[in-house]
Amino acid sequence: MLLELQNVCLELKRNHKYVKILDEVSFQVNQGETVGIVGESGCGKSMTALSIMRLLPEKAKLKGTIKLEDEDVTKFSKKALEKVRGNKLSMIFQDPLTSLNPLHTVGKQIEETLMLHTDLTKSQRKQRVVELLREVGLPRAEELVHEYPHQLSGGMRQRIMIAIAMACNPSLLICDEPTTALDVTVQAQILELMNSLKKMNEMGIIMITHDLGVVAEVCDRVIVMYAGKVVEQAGVKELFQNPKHPYTKGLIESIPKLGERKQILGSIPGTVPAPDKLPSGCKFADRCSYAMDTCRRKMPPMVHITNEHSASCWLLEEEEGEQFVTSGSKRIETTLHH
Amino acid sequence: MSLLEVKELKQHFTIKKGFLGEKKIVKAVDGVSFKIEQGETLGIVGESGCGKSSLGRTILQLIKPTSGEIHFQGRDITHLSRKEMKDVRKEMQIVFQDPYASLNPRSTVRTILEDPLIIHGIKSRHKRMDIIEGIIDKIGIRKDQLDRYPHEFSGGQRQRIGIARALTLSPKLIIADEPVSALDVSVQSQVLNLMDALQKELNLSYIFISHDLSVVQHISDRVAVMYLGKIVEIADVDELYQNPLHPYTKALLSAVPLPDPAQKKERIILQGDLPSPVNPPSGCPFHTRCPQATPECKAEIPELREKSMDHWAACIHVQPGQKQSIRTSIS
Repeated sequence: MLLELQNVCLELKRNHKYVKILDEVSFQVNQGETVGIVGESGCGKSMTALSIMRLLPEKAKLKGTIKLEDEDVTKFSKKALEKVRGNKLSMIFQDPLTSLNPLHTVGKQIEETLMLHTDLTKSQRKQRVVELLREVGLPRAEELVHEYPHQLSGGMRQRIMIAIAMACNPSLLICDEPTTALDVTVQAQILELMNSLKKMNEMGIIMITHDLGVVAEVCDRVIVMYAGKVVEQAGVKELFQNPKHPYTKGLIESIPKLGERKQILGSIPGTVPAPDKLPSGCKFADRCSYAMDTCRRKMPPMVHITNEHSASCWLLEEEEGEQFVTSGSKRIETTLHH
Repeated sequence: MSLLEVKELKQHFTIKKGFLGEKKIVKAVDGVSFKIEQGETLGIVGESGCGKSSLGRTILQLIKPTSGEIHFQGRDITHLSRKEMKDVRKEMQIVFQDPYASLNPRSTVRTILEDPLIIHGIKSRHKRMDIIEGIIDKIGIRKDQLDRYPHEFSGGQRQRIGIARALTLSPKLIIADEPVSALDVSVQSQVLNLMDALQKELNLSYIFISHDLSVVQHISDRVAVMYLGKIVEIADVDELYQNPLHPYTKALLSAVPLPDPAQKKERIILQGDLPSPVNPPSGCPFHTRCPQATPECKAEIPELREKSMDHWAACIHVQPGQKQSIRTSIS
């Protein structure tokens, strides 16, 4: 197992008091696997990624364990973190223009990673940079090394970001909305590139996105988050064919599908509540059309439907006797038993 | 008579590099023609920089067109004075992409909705409030929320306010420029459903500009595909999505990730990016990325021609009357 999150809670200071941003998030990523994290904005997708990278504000309270190849990232010192970031653990951000340094050439920015994490000599590094640029499918790599980010298009910049992230052959790559700022034709190019890199390097990928189309295309497993909690996780086919949580169902029904014309799209009323104004009980109850009394009073437990599919909803608990096996009303972890 | 008819519309911007630099011309919109009927939605799709937004703004004459004609309800509005144009604008309104930037943060919703009515001379306060209350009822904002400021609303609600503002003068045509692109899918569908319902109730026409092909398919009756300032294909929505003729439309459609992991499709991956509109390729603007390009494509600019009933495409390799095989992805 490559990465394992167990009961990760995160509190951040907002207006002089701590607010819970992540609430007992648990999931795993295996080697060579792409795990998607989906949810609306404000659900805690990006904060989960930043917690794994430990790129949090100084006063953040992080609890639980985040195991990367059996080492707990939450216990790492600053120095140990620096060693891991960009090396074993890499991240690609949404906006390639703001994440690249406008004052340095592309070559220098890729080389920096190599300088920090490898023993390569200067000429070896230069060679590796050109190789990397070719690997991510950029033309005229030798000239490109000397160019600045503003001279490149959005798609090319994102390829540079991928080259930087891939420089040290990471075992885990976290992508935070990597194609959201790109046009569809360029998005298709980037997704294809990421798929081929994954096959080549056997790395694990966490793909954070709000685009369910992207999820269906590249992910093996999917984690659905709502208001800082994991509400459902399943294999990608299972999730789209047999979604269990009303929130997942709502998300899937609200996308217009190519090749299908419907009169009215499904939708989820209301919006994600602010982290300091969360309701007690099920966080989704206020927007859920199936909400019952129990939902508003008590938090639903995580119900394991199959080995790979679990969801946290009282509706599933009701059906428990017939089909599902749960460990009573006590909350159980979302660990997958392989 | 069509509600709106655009003929050979051009919008060229001059840009100058440096103080003494040479002048360059960006052909943002380069000879676009189409018609819209009352109650119809025309979707306009294309990648960023293809001129979709410039087209929307030129039709409203927020920027004066370089050449071409715009006829609204049979009247040529291309050369109207500001004052005359003001009356026409009552009938054509716009909804912008970013619901955060397009509402004045210092005005209450009431002021935001009242302003267009004051500008267009509705003097009685009572009458103004009647109109506003009628509209907010349709878009799902409560009366007691009227005195709140935009920051107190969520993104979806703000976009509803943007739509309400466009509706206050009961226009016939609304140009919606990426109205749902900044919204989450669940909220996006709320706004799309609302736009659908309003169209039926008020017999509105929409020009719906978006880069999202699935959204455009959902809302449009007809769709125009733009590439570097030109319409390369225009047809009825079902015809265009099921039987795309232009290689660019085919590539665009095949690039959309489908939210269904069971469906695998053949994908056309285009090489490279959109060429710069300052220096567009000679001949067919798409030939640099087109998988079917031949030397002839470099030589001549293909005209938009009717290839089958009401299905127009600008490609020399598409023969008239030819039924192309239906892409596997779109069944």
